[in-house]
Amino acid sequence: MFHGRDRLQPLRNLGAWVNVITITGLSKRFGSNKAVDNVSFSATPGRVTGFLGPNGAGKSTTLRMLLGLDRPNSGTAHIDGVPYSRIEQPLRSVGALLDGAGPVPERRGADHLRWIAQSNGVPRNRVSEVLEQVGLSHAAKTRVRKYSLGMKQRLGLAAALLGEPRTLVLDEPANGLDPEGIRTVRTFLRSYAAKGNTVLLSSHLMGETAETVDDVVIINRGSIIAQGPLADVTAGHSSLEEAFFALTGGTQSERW
Amino acid sequence: MIGVVRSELTKITSLPSVLIATAVLLLLAVVVLLQPLGMLSDSLAGMRPDGTIEFFTGHRQQAESLVLGLLVASSLQPGLFLPIIGAIIAGQEFRSGHLGVSVSVVPRRGKLVVGKVIATALYALAVGVVLAALSTLFMYLGVRDWNPGILWSAEALAGQGRFLLYAVTATLIGFAVTLVARRTLVGIIAVTAFIALTMAQVFAAVPAIDALLPLSAARNLLLEPTTNVLSASPLHGAAVLTGWAAVAVTGAAVAVRLRDAR
Ligand SMILES: Nc1ncnc2c1ncn2[C@@H]1O[C@H](COP(=O)(O)OP(=O)(O)OP(=O)(O)O)[C@@H](O)[C@H]1O
Ligand SMILES: [Mg+2]
Repeated sequence: MFHGRDRLQPLRNLGAWVNVITITGLSKRFGSNKAVDNVSFSATPGRVTGFLGPNGAGKSTTLRMLLGLDRPNSGTAHIDGVPYSRIEQPLRSVGALLDGAGPVPERRGADHLRWIAQSNGVPRNRVSEVLEQVGLSHAAKTRVRKYSLGMKQRLGLAAALLGEPRTLVLDEPANGLDPEGIRTVRTFLRSYAAKGNTVLLSSHLMGETAETVDDVVIINRGSIIAQGPLADVTAGHSSLEEAFFALTGGTQSERW
Repeated sequence: MIGVVRSELTKITSLPSVLIATAVLLLLAVVVLLQPLGMLSDSLAGMRPDGTIEFFTGHRQQAESLVLGLLVASSLQPGLFLPIIGAIIAGQEFRSGHLGVSVSVVPRRGKLVVGKVIATALYALAVGVVLAALSTLFMYLGVRDWNPGILWSAEALAGQGRFLLYAVTATLIGFAVTLVARRTLVGIIAVTAFIALTMAQVFAAVPAIDALLPLSAARNLLLEPTTNVLSASPLHGAAVLTGWAAVAVTGAAVAVRLRDAR
């Protein structure tokens, strides 16, 4: 499955240290803007890791570098010790939902999933299975242009689940979902992680995130300002939201 | 790799704009092919004992060479639009951040580009075969009372083979230019401007330079030297077209590898 020399194979055979996401010293500049500045953290199996930060903090850019879409200026992002881009059929080990990377509007939902499945040798019947799983069976033959925001999000989640991966990387998975959809995703992610899988998700919704995650990583203006188990990060604050505002310096008086 | 090619073929055939453009191109082919039919039958009816006919007014030529020439030339006219289909195929990656999805499921970008190139070439080949079949069918209607076997002669098949080479390389050039430009429209405009420039005979004064342009190379590859002013041999044309396609595709591969997938 992995390309090139796989130094971790002995460990993997022992069943240890599997599905670990390790980000080390990752940096990315857009011109003079340091979008991501020396970011390091990890996400471990059996836990849901929440990646939080205000708009423009660098969450999406970090996840895009993790998945090999954007080239970092420095640093590394590994999954089980190898860069994502070295995994031969990545869908079978890592499922991803990315902000700003979606289907062509004119294509039918099922066709979008079909080409993704083909590219990674995923059996064709998985397409209808994941459509069923995210509640989109009725819209399989509908062009994505006619999807609502939440339906597009569900299609993206379906694509992430196609290869039955052990690791999920989701950029704002709750975006556009109705309360029922959010609850379904939360329940799914919790039980998914409980089976020993790894979940890394970014979010804006503090209340929702607090109920979903085990660990949090908070990023502000490109730099990590706090990370650890949820209880440790929120210690001394009434809620994750309060902790978040205290850490990011956002205040109630800050108006547009 | 086969999976990647299959997935790229699915991307091509599940995109309405590709199918619409292909249908328009085939319709255009029919229109182009219908036109000379009557004239061809008339001139064949007036054939002299030496086997010559007058198809182009004032120009007598062997019926064989005229029919063989027409067979291929009539495919080239609709075939001029093949680079636009290539541009549409490549351009879909730059809509809604689609390239991000493509790279996230096939992160080895060299492999992704090779898969795309093979799939696009296969699609172009299929469209080329349909165009060649249409030309054969309509020419058959024109020559069936005279010598329908000429359409299956080695020379005719070689001509169709040259056309298929053109179909694949021309489509790949439109495809690769668009991968570099990252916009379907920019790709289409670039290709069209280049065709217009060649048509306007800007470089015609210097045949050596003219022969290096893709469209001139296509004419050299496909058209009859007795009825057309050409700047080089068919072999030269084939080499130039293949060279352009290779350079463009290599440039596209480098661009896709180096840039962020947006
Ligand atoms: N393609 C780009 N070109 C230039 N700057 C960019 C580009 N993409 C992102 N940026 C900049 O990088 C920074 C981080 O953006 P990013 O999208 O990673 O933030 P985010 O944390 O995901 O925000 P949000 O919560 O709004 O999704 C921002 O300052 C943004 O302006
Ligand atoms: Mg974002």
